[in-house]
Amino acid sequence: MTVRTVSGDAQQILLASELIRLGARLQLLESETTLSRERLLKLYKELRGVSPPKGMLPFSTDWFISWQPNIHASVFLGIYRYLLNHARLSGIDAVTKAYQLYLEQMPPEPSEQPVLSLTRAWTLIRFFDNRMLSMQRCDICHGQFISHAFQPRCGTRCGLCHPPARAGKRKRLDKTIEVDYSVSSGSNW
Amino acid sequence: MSSIRDTNLAYLILAQQMVRQDRATAIYRLGISVELADLIDTLSPAQIVRLASSNLMLVRLRFDETIAGLLSNLSKDRSLIQAHASILFAAQSCEPMAPLNDMSS
Repeated sequence: MTVRTVSGDAQQILLASELIRLGARLQLLESETTLSRERLLKLYKELRGVSPPKGMLPFSTDWFISWQPNIHASVFLGIYRYLLNHARLSGIDAVTKAYQLYLEQMPPEPSEQPVLSLTRAWTLIRFFDNRMLSMQRCDICHGQFISHAFQPRCGTRCGLCHPPARAGKRKRLDKTIEVDYSVSSGSNW
Repeated sequence: MSSIRDTNLAYLILAQQMVRQDRATAIYRLGISVELADLIDTLSPAQIVRLASSNLMLVRLRFDETIAGLLSNLSKDRSLIQAHASILFAAQSCEPMAPLNDMSS
């Protein structure tokens, strides 16, 4: 068992606060910090003002394959692997740093949650390390994209070079609603 | 010529500032290696000026014509292009410039 020191404890609390601020769920905190469940619960409530959500973590690898999540997850995993390979980062430091950079690259719309949550990003790395997901190179742009492991390689095209027919429709719908709203409210631009 | 020197100097000053602020983030954003980041960190102002005062550009572009074509496509959504750029840049390695004697091989 590791010896507990006050400064070590403080570091763990800082790490946990940072993770909570980025949207980590309790399971992630329990596995990445040495703090007890009770202390983590208390910390979570202090920072967020509410109890952490209960229930299991999302566990499907399929989520990462559908169009929009795949793009976001590929951005995150690309940054994460870049940091591992080139910046000598590892472990949870690499995850948090990569997630911050991901948020910077793909900022969520105001009042919306990011597409890829920190907990999902963390699960993604576990899937990846356990060879449940892998990365494939797009034949057109040569970018690395997430795919199921052991998928045969023939004519891979990424979702960005060849977006599916209905891709991006959701956003366009939102925009039309916005326009309608601005007309009906009679505001001058 | 002088604008090349100015650009070199501005780049080096910015790079040093970024490396000192947050090394890992700077390595990702600039696309440089740890060794180069360490070196940039230790440069003195006089060394930076000396290094920058060249008639040649010190920094290279991170994209080739394929990537530039993909990314300058005006019909695509901006956030998608941003995503594509960051995936493509992450897939690149931060290769150091090849020394002259390696060019023949």
